[in-house]
Amino acid sequence: MTDKASPVISVNGVSRWFGSVVAVSDVSFDINPGITGLLGPNGAGKTTLLRMMTGLAETSTGTVTMFGESVRNNPPLYQRIGVMSEHETVYDFMTGREFVLMMGRVRKVPNIQKAADHAIELVDLVDAQHRPMRTYSRGMRQRMRLAATLVHDPEVLILDEPLNGADPRQRVHFKKLLQQLAQSGRTIVLSSHILEEVEELADTVLLIINGKLAASGEFRAIRAALNQRPYHVRVVASSPRALASMAVNLPSVDAVHIDPDGGVVILSRNVQDLQMELPRLAQQGSITLKRVEPLDDSLESVFGYLVEN
Amino acid sequence: MGTVYRLSLRQLTGKWRLAIMTVLAVLPIIIAAIMLGAREAPSLQEFETGVMGAMLLGSITPLVVLAIAAAAFANEVEDRTLANLVLSPLRRWEIAIPKLLATITIAAPFIAASAFATSYIAYLGDWRAVFAVTLSSVIGVALYSAAFVFLGLITTYAIGIGLLYIVVWEGFFSGFVAGARLLSIQHYAIALMHGIDPRRFAFDNHLGFLAASIITLVLFAGFAWLSVRRLKTMDVP
Repeated sequence: MTDKASPVISVNGVSRWFGSVVAVSDVSFDINPGITGLLGPNGAGKTTLLRMMTGLAETSTGTVTMFGESVRNNPPLYQRIGVMSEHETVYDFMTGREFVLMMGRVRKVPNIQKAADHAIELVDLVDAQHRPMRTYSRGMRQRMRLAATLVHDPEVLILDEPLNGADPRQRVHFKKLLQQLAQSGRTIVLSSHILEEVEELADTVLLIINGKLAASGEFRAIRAALNQRPYHVRVVASSPRALASMAVNLPSVDAVHIDPDGGVVILSRNVQDLQMELPRLAQQGSITLKRVEPLDDSLESVFGYLVEN
Repeated sequence: MGTVYRLSLRQLTGKWRLAIMTVLAVLPIIIAAIMLGAREAPSLQEFETGVMGAMLLGSITPLVVLAIAAAAFANEVEDRTLANLVLSPLRRWEIAIPKLLATITIAAPFIAASAFATSYIAYLGDWRAVFAVTLSSVIGVALYSAAFVFLGLITTYAIGIGLLYIVVWEGFFSGFVAGARLLSIQHYAIALMHGIDPRRFAFDNHLGFLAASIITLVLFAGFAWLSVRRLKTMDVP
């Protein structure tokens, strides 16, 4: 679908300010086919960045290119992109099918009826397609918006908080659909506050904090690179105080505390050594280890750490 | 282009909006009938200045157009649905022009019917006068539409600013300050009316037919161009 040597989306030194407020500051990255998660706390500048990536907003400095072309004011390029914004407003006087057809028509889709059938089937809304969209639940509206985004079979999908309002079954369906689309060579940029889902879906993550790119790359690689931060491991043991007093002397342990539920929380920068030492320690002290669980092997904790620092 | 036009027609023809437009369009007809039925009927000059000029062309026409034109883009911006159109392969003029045409399509029949009925009553079925009033009103609709569609793209306060323009500029200054008439849509329409039927507004002939025609065309094209340009340069929410 694309030249493998060049990235699909290229963001180079992009900044955007509104008066004296800097929303995005000197951000650069490339995006290749597959699923890329765009993450950051509220107000981090994610939506502003997505809007500049789609050409909806002008950059103050820097450039955004897609397939080597500028995204701003480039209508022919938009034939290749599907964008689903975070705003859930729809033309509520239309039926779902009318909306998908309208979006297909403005994108000059050939064989529009067949394309609409296919897109609506993909989001599993065939039975509700003839109902006015004002009667839809939030999740249904989101799915029909996704169908309208997919109707012209775009090569690039930019989805801002697409899972809002979806129930668990719809989320599973949606994840499968995105994975299928990514496997077929599409480039998908996904912004979401549901971190576990991004973690499950995204091959690559971009962490935006205070308008800056805090980290980018494969999630676990980013996590490993954050070696200044100790991992948190929670241990449920038969004798928590004894375990804590012994563990604190281990070279792989930075600190130990006992949480209100009686669990021993161990902070370690060297989890591999800790994994070896902990059973030995338990054996020495005749302590039964009931459960050992990492507390922070999630995007949310990486996120929190980056925000704090 | 047809898709955006049809979409705009559906967006702009809400029940409440149509009801308000109907009430506004009927007002000049009722007032004309009352004035002409009164014991002391107004002079032709008084009627043309008060009802045809200030009321029909200077108030009712811009109000009806404002109710539609300001919403043509403002609703899309407010609801954040404009991105659906902007992020498509449509050129910007293929979005702006259908919106403008839809505005004219909706407003023109109301104003044309109002102008037709009012002038038919006032001029006792004088077809040349009726034609002059109706045609110049429709041209006024087109020019007000172009101006207010652009206004809806540059500000979220289009209704307020538009009302201020109608009351202060069209209603006040252009009525009293001769120079202001050179920058008044109402007076372009009056000049066109006078050009089509020289008996109408013979006392208010500040602008020639040709000049009014050229200014109207230039302003219409200018506002349409500004709307297209604004769509190209604005940040779409």
